[in-house]
Amino acid sequence: METVLRVSGLRKSFGGVPVLDRIDLEVSEGEAVGLVGPNGSGKTTLIRCVSGLLEPDSGAVEVRGTLGVVFQEDLLLPWKTIYENVELGLRFRGVPEGERRRAVFEAAETLGISEYLGMYPRQVSGGTARKAAIARALVLGPDLLLLDEPFSGLDLGARSALSEALREIRGRGTAMLVVSHQIGDLVGVADRVYAVTPRPARVRAHVRLAGLSPEERVRALARLLLGSSPGRGGTPRSPL
Amino acid sequence: MAAYALSIDLWTLASSVLITLRNSVEGFAIALLASLGAAYLYFSRPGLRPMVYALNTMLQSVSVLAWAIVLTMAFGVLSPIPPVLVTAAACLPVIMSSAVEAVRAVDERLMDVMKMLGASKPQAFLNAVLPASVPSLAAASRSGLGLALRISVVAEAFGSSGGVGYMMVRAYSLVVPEGVMAWALILVALMLAMDLLVMRRVVEVAEAWRLS
Repeated sequence: METVLRVSGLRKSFGGVPVLDRIDLEVSEGEAVGLVGPNGSGKTTLIRCVSGLLEPDSGAVEVRGTLGVVFQEDLLLPWKTIYENVELGLRFRGVPEGERRRAVFEAAETLGISEYLGMYPRQVSGGTARKAAIARALVLGPDLLLLDEPFSGLDLGARSALSEALREIRGRGTAMLVVSHQIGDLVGVADRVYAVTPRPARVRAHVRLAGLSPEERVRALARLLLGSSPGRGGTPRSPL
Repeated sequence: MAAYALSIDLWTLASSVLITLRNSVEGFAIALLASLGAAYLYFSRPGLRPMVYALNTMLQSVSVLAWAIVLTMAFGVLSPIPPVLVTAAACLPVIMSSAVEAVRAVDERLMDVMKMLGASKPQAFLNAVLPASVPSLAAASRSGLGLALRISVVAEAFGSSGGVGYMMVRAYSLVVPEGVMAWALILVALMLAMDLLVMRRVVEVAEAWRLS
């Protein structure tokens, strides 16, 4: 499988305070990779560097293909319906209306939000809004989807539905880098998981989950977490 | 004053009020469009931001009287243009400040989303920045339109193209103080009507939209 994302030796600091310290990671075609670390460890900064919104101080980010980004907050435009929000990127690219419509309905079906397309963001639940934000990135047909804390603020039912939707997206061949501070969120989604240290973020360990049974995945992730040392960012939360 | 007010024939009243309304609305519309242009420049060309601020400061420092005299001299006392342009020039800094401030306050994260979706600068402005600025712009427009009515009356006083301001000066020239007062009251009634019937509603709708 080809590598769609290669991050090597990435460093970033703000005002002399290091946030990312020599981050190395890779995501292959069609692979779902998790990145777990405590709150404030610099995961969002990493996503912003990978997506090109921030310039790293040093190191390299190589992206093969197109990139879709789902931010930690849904950031849907409140004056547009879910449908209009989802199709926005296609409109910007001048995609004809029929094609846009087809793409929006397909993405909405994958994420199970077809019935909400005519509603405004204020009229739907947090879980549906999150899925709409994912659909907005997905309609652009990215080779790699970056998801920043996609499970945060969602209840158990919404988390489980979102996990299922992400598995389906991965099943269709879209690679993903899913960032989370809760290792449990990644059990059913990720093929591999990187753990980063508290700030400055550095890849501390890395575990492969693909091919493991659910119980083995849980054990592997627990070992990954227990191998951590509490740092300035505080003790990571319970894994499950 | 009541006798004078009653002596004003309906045609004179209606035409004067309409001229003042037209001058105000046209001047206000020019100021609003120019403010949106300045807001777009501020958004899309960060290098030009100091220029936008400098232009605003310069416009604020020019007296309405100076605008009225210069423009009346330039276009002539019979021209309908000076009251419109004077109104626009006086309203512009008020509306422009609010428009630029509204653009400045737009959530940076929305801009990140626009970038990741591949929006061009005009697309990002039209789809995210402008809608996000509507409540501030509506509030600024409310005071801007009130200002426009007051300024257009001053500008009309310098020309002979009609309007409430022109009628006030005419009553003053004929030494009819009750006439001046009657036309001043007509202006107040006009401003109240505009505010209650139009601008308050516009602000309410914009505010409800923002809260939704």
